[in-house]
Amino acid sequence: MQTALSVLVDSMLITFVFALAALGLAIIFGLMGVINMGHGAMLTLGAYFTWFATTKGVPFVAAVLLAAAGVGLIGLLLEHFIIRHFYDRPFETLLLTWGFFLISTELIKIAFGTDLRTVTNPLPGAAHFGSFVLPAYQSVVALISLALIVGLGVMLYRTGLGIKIRALVQNAEVASLLGLNVARAYKLVFVAGSAAAGLAGALISPMLSVDPYIGNIFLVRSFFVVIVGGIGQVLGGTLVGSFLIGGSETFFALFSGQVVAQTIVFMLAILVLRFRPAGVLRAQ
Amino acid sequence: MKYPPALSRLSFSWYSENAVATVIFAVLALLPAFLSGYVIYIVPQYLLYGVLAMSLALLWGVAGILSFGQAAFFALGAYAMGLAPHWTSSVDPFYLALLVSLLIGAVLAGVVGYFLFSAGVRDVYFVLVTLALSIMTEQITVSQSDITGGYNGMFIPRAQLSFGGVSLDLSADVPMYYTILPIVIGIYVLLRLVVASRFGKVLVGIRENEDRVLSLGFRTSLYKTAAFALSGAVAGLAGALYGTHASFVSPSLAGVLFSTQVVVWVAIGGRESLLGALLGAVGVAALSNYLTAITPEYWQLVVGIVFVIVIMAFRGGVAGALIRLGSRPPMEPERG
Repeated sequence: MQTALSVLVDSMLITFVFALAALGLAIIFGLMGVINMGHGAMLTLGAYFTWFATTKGVPFVAAVLLAAAGVGLIGLLLEHFIIRHFYDRPFETLLLTWGFFLISTELIKIAFGTDLRTVTNPLPGAAHFGSFVLPAYQSVVALISLALIVGLGVMLYRTGLGIKIRALVQNAEVASLLGLNVARAYKLVFVAGSAAAGLAGALISPMLSVDPYIGNIFLVRSFFVVIVGGIGQVLGGTLVGSFLIGGSETFFALFSGQVVAQTIVFMLAILVLRFRPAGVLRAQ
Repeated sequence: MKYPPALSRLSFSWYSENAVATVIFAVLALLPAFLSGYVIYIVPQYLLYGVLAMSLALLWGVAGILSFGQAAFFALGAYAMGLAPHWTSSVDPFYLALLVSLLIGAVLAGVVGYFLFSAGVRDVYFVLVTLALSIMTEQITVSQSDITGGYNGMFIPRAQLSFGGVSLDLSADVPMYYTILPIVIGIYVLLRLVVASRFGKVLVGIRENEDRVLSLGFRTSLYKTAAFALSGAVAGLAGALYGTHASFVSPSLAGVLFSTQVVVWVAIGGRESLLGALLGAVGVAALSNYLTAITPEYWQLVVGIVFVIVIMAFRGGVAGALIRLGSRPPMEPERG
């Protein structure tokens, strides 16, 4: 019973971390259909900006916000100078965002070095319930992750801006005929997704050691989270996808190694992609 | 008979590609007569990278299917070469490993390909699955450390070949060179024939407009599966030869970075030309090897920037740019 409870809690925490890591991709890939292979690099940049700011004495919360703003700015530059010219060519955006990954990884190595970096955990405490432990920082991050997803959902379904973005997702051409500035809306969504990725990288940085490839751990997982949950389903899809990917990984890791668990989860995700290409939430 | 512009451009590039390929392979065949030492040791390795690049060019340039997982087949081939001595005592493990690497590549790619293509999984989703394939291969080779040596990798003794009474010691560089070069040339010629065949033309049709080819009565999923299986087999064979040449294999050979490195070679060399892909791999790998010693960080940065510029402005890579330069007149009518 105790084990079951602690697995459940672990799964929930992992789910929210995965959802947080996937959120930027759910915005850029899920809403715009742009294959952002640079998503992992954006997470890495967020983590490094946080590390850099905290070593310079900036308080953790401010460092996280700076990291999100910094990655958002990089996203703006990337979109403005490169990506916006290739929205109608998915292969090219895929390759160009991968090029962004290559370049930004090398720049990170040049600027920050290749050594492992650690960001001090700002909330090292934990709450003890009988035999299982609820780490304070992870729990706060889970709450932030939930708040961000709900906030995004409210923004999409309850505000004028949300209506515009949903119109863009449904039919960009008609939306533009009705007077929506499509170019600006795309830019806004791309920057929001980049900033979300930067924020996620910043918040995840105290949980892992930061190295130039840290974001790659989450790149393919994030894509699978979005695909399994259903493309365009930012609210429910991201949560359900994260729960299926993260939860099943925690579950399988009980019986086998972490590595085998991840392999099984990838295979399950490929099965979903094959048999339910629209995601588990949507009817065929 | 008047050919449409695309076809006349193709025939021009084929004609000149034959000439360039002949000259390059002739130079490579004579190289050991003039050079010795490190160059003769390392060139076969670049050529095997080139074969890996051609396996992607067949898929991406000809059939329009991008794979981020070619390194998975390459690494599996190399592991087959390393493990083959444990499997057999009667047959020469070298030949067995070559056969197994071909089969592993073909079967794995065939199964994955059919599984996905038959359901209409295409384009970017296929890229993601192949990326996952290479991550899974890397992680499995790390985790099965009893068999593969895990992170530390595995040493592979160079083969001793014997046919009839003649024995060939591949631990020396020159015999290795002359073993690998003819295989590379053979694979190149074979792939050129495949591209020129009816099968190859269907693949080009799929690249240009899959729905139309489908409505003409071709089961495109089978053609795509066959192309991926052939590509996997070629990558696996190249990996097996790489294993014996490098005498070493480690999980990073299957990893995302090496897998996408192949994509960079092919994009820079020219995805629509097999020779372009081959030379792209040889050129970038050789430059990387040389410049990494001098300025490791900045060189990789330059590769990334060149890659982005090629994707943005030079779709055909270096080979495409050269072909366009050489055949300006036939290009003109395409505007009409």
